[in-house]
Amino acid sequence: MDITHTATAGTLESSDIQVTLAPGGDGIDIDLTSDVIKQFGDQIKASITQVLHNYGITSAKVKAVDKGALDIVIKARTVAAVQRALDIVDQPKWEVL
Amino acid sequence: MMTTMRDMYLSDPMTMRQWKEFLESQGIQEFRSGEVEPLEETIGLFDEDDRLVATGSLAGPILKYIVVRHYDSEHSALFNRIVGELVARLAERGVTHYSVFTKPRYIASFEHVGFTCLARVERGGLLESGMPGIDTYLEHVRDLGGWQASAAIVMNANPFTLGHRRLVEAAAHDNEHVYVFVVHENRSLFTTDERLRLVCEGVADLKNVTVVDGGDYLIGFAAFPAYFIPSSKDVIDYQTRLDATLFRDWFVPALGITRRYVGKEPYSPTTQVYNQALKDVLEPRTKVTVIERRQVGQEPISASRVRRLIAQGDVDGLKGLVPSTTKIFIQDHLAQLQMRI
Repeated sequence: MDITHTATAGTLESSDIQVTLAPGGDGIDIDLTSDVIKQFGDQIKASITQVLHNYGITSAKVKAVDKGALDIVIKARTVAAVQRALDIVDQPKWEVL
Repeated sequence: MMTTMRDMYLSDPMTMRQWKEFLESQGIQEFRSGEVEPLEETIGLFDEDDRLVATGSLAGPILKYIVVRHYDSEHSALFNRIVGELVARLAERGVTHYSVFTKPRYIASFEHVGFTCLARVERGGLLESGMPGIDTYLEHVRDLGGWQASAAIVMNANPFTLGHRRLVEAAAHDNEHVYVFVVHENRSLFTTDERLRLVCEGVADLKNVTVVDGGDYLIGFAAFPAYFIPSSKDVIDYQTRLDATLFRDWFVPALGITRRYVGKEPYSPTTQVYNQALKDVLEPRTKVTVIERRQVGQEPISASRVRRLIAQGDVDGLKGLVPSTTKIFIQDHLAQLQMRI
């Protein structure tokens, strides 16, 4: 499945993450800003990628600004961004979590 | 500290006063109409005593007047809430790419919330965030042809005249390929779409010329917010150098720009400052060539002269000043254009 337009979810407040998805790229290309990128950067990227793959998205440009979000928050924000990017906000697919 | 986010309607004089007083107390002194009028939305964070502790505004995709009370222990949390709320509001409108102009010392704060600094000069910097970013824009421009080396002209073309035409001809004659960037802004008499169309039509016969929309990046240096520059005499220097630096650091390497052409502007001191800033910043890597103005009658051709004739309804006076494509457009839309003046 391909993303048709840019969409975003989440805030820049503490314990949250702001995830923006845009069409394009070869594969999943994640640009991550985080204070804990050294410790958890790979894990955050893996969580985002997993959600995208569960939706069948294989290529997208992702921008994520992390403010210390827990894994479930990262996934929930990614789900919200994907649903918006695919215009399927009214059909939540919670099983992708 | 408990804080509440509220919209601030600056059209209300009381709210305006409260907002201004807060900004002044934090060292912002500049409220020229050119800075304040474009603000579409303003938000404020208020503490338990209903005192304003942080604020931010939107002017199109540009975040402006973001100020958080100094020495507040929750400074960065308040800053993030303001920026986050503004970004969320833009997303609701479908705007997913945005930028901010700020003092050099606040660049790091914006980088911390995901912004990328595109250019910085002594008195200010330009940052962007969201998507698509400048890489995507330049990739798109590069994909139009993939020339190894090109000359570039940046013009507002409000509207396209025979003076612009001469500039493009000179560049097209001396270079294998020329990009003509049309400044993207809608404060001009002619909208961006109209200006783009007239430039495209006006150079259609020149095969080595590519006309490109300046997008979010070439918006005209005068549109760069400068409310945080304390001394008005420094504003033009900051605006022109920032514009030139953005061009040097992004457009030149991505598109292989070897020369930039500008028109000589004997009557506009600001354009002279701009042309000098381009020389200072772009050379030696990109040569800046100044082309003499074409004269018709006693006066050089200029878009402002054309706009004056439109205001007077003098379509015959346009002869010799604009190409037939521009003239036909003006004839067909004269009443509509006059309404906008």
